[in-house]
Amino acid sequence: MGAVLILTPIIIGSWPVITAAVAGAASAMGLMVSESVKEAAKESQSDTEQSVEVELADSEVLAESMATDQQIVLTKGTIQLCVKRDERGRCSVCAKGTGHSEAELKQIAEEFTQKLTQCFVYDKVVRELKNKEFQVVNEEVMEDESIRIHVRRWMD
Amino acid sequence: MAQHEVEITISKTGEVKVHIKGAKGKNCLVYSKWLSELVGKVKDQQLTSEYYEPEIKARIDVEQDLRTEE
Repeated sequence: MGAVLILTPIIIGSWPVITAAVAGAASAMGLMVSESVKEAAKESQSDTEQSVEVELADSEVLAESMATDQQIVLTKGTIQLCVKRDERGRCSVCAKGTGHSEAELKQIAEEFTQKLTQCFVYDKVVRELKNKEFQVVNEEVMEDESIRIHVRRWMD
Repeated sequence: MAQHEVEITISKTGEVKVHIKGAKGKNCLVYSKWLSELVGKVKDQQLTSEYYEPEIKARIDVEQDLRTEE
């Protein structure tokens, strides 16, 4: 049987690498990347709009190849998610929208950070498995939304 | 030839479960080290009976093969 490991992911990557995972997570959750990013980001917060910020604890967005205040704005209905690098270099997700409670916004922000983490880890693992010439035997998305990748290699 | 299999499950929260099969002895630890460096922190590790079986081939080959390029 060999060994069984449980690993807690650490998200470290440049902004382009993070944005690739953000795009994957957004697509999986039916979020649209806002075309009017600047306008959306500059919109003032109305009195009835709630806002919640969730930080990916084990994350580091490398500042290289990244402009100051760079962010990605995603929308779904009246909810807006803003993904950015915070002052400490971590990746943070801010959810806001009118007509939604703080709890609802926190839930969607947390769901998004989880999906973002899953996409980031998937991209990184698959890329490395390919580099090391592992043969993919099977890959499937399970009922609980986990992704199972089965690979093999032959050693002389 | 030895067949090494790895089953990787990425949960919806991003936590990763790795099951290494076919790699005996310290070869198994080489895979563990490589994957933990790739993903993040080891939360739990259990060695199974296969780990204690004699290695068929030298560990050095697997180590060299899995070395991450700088």
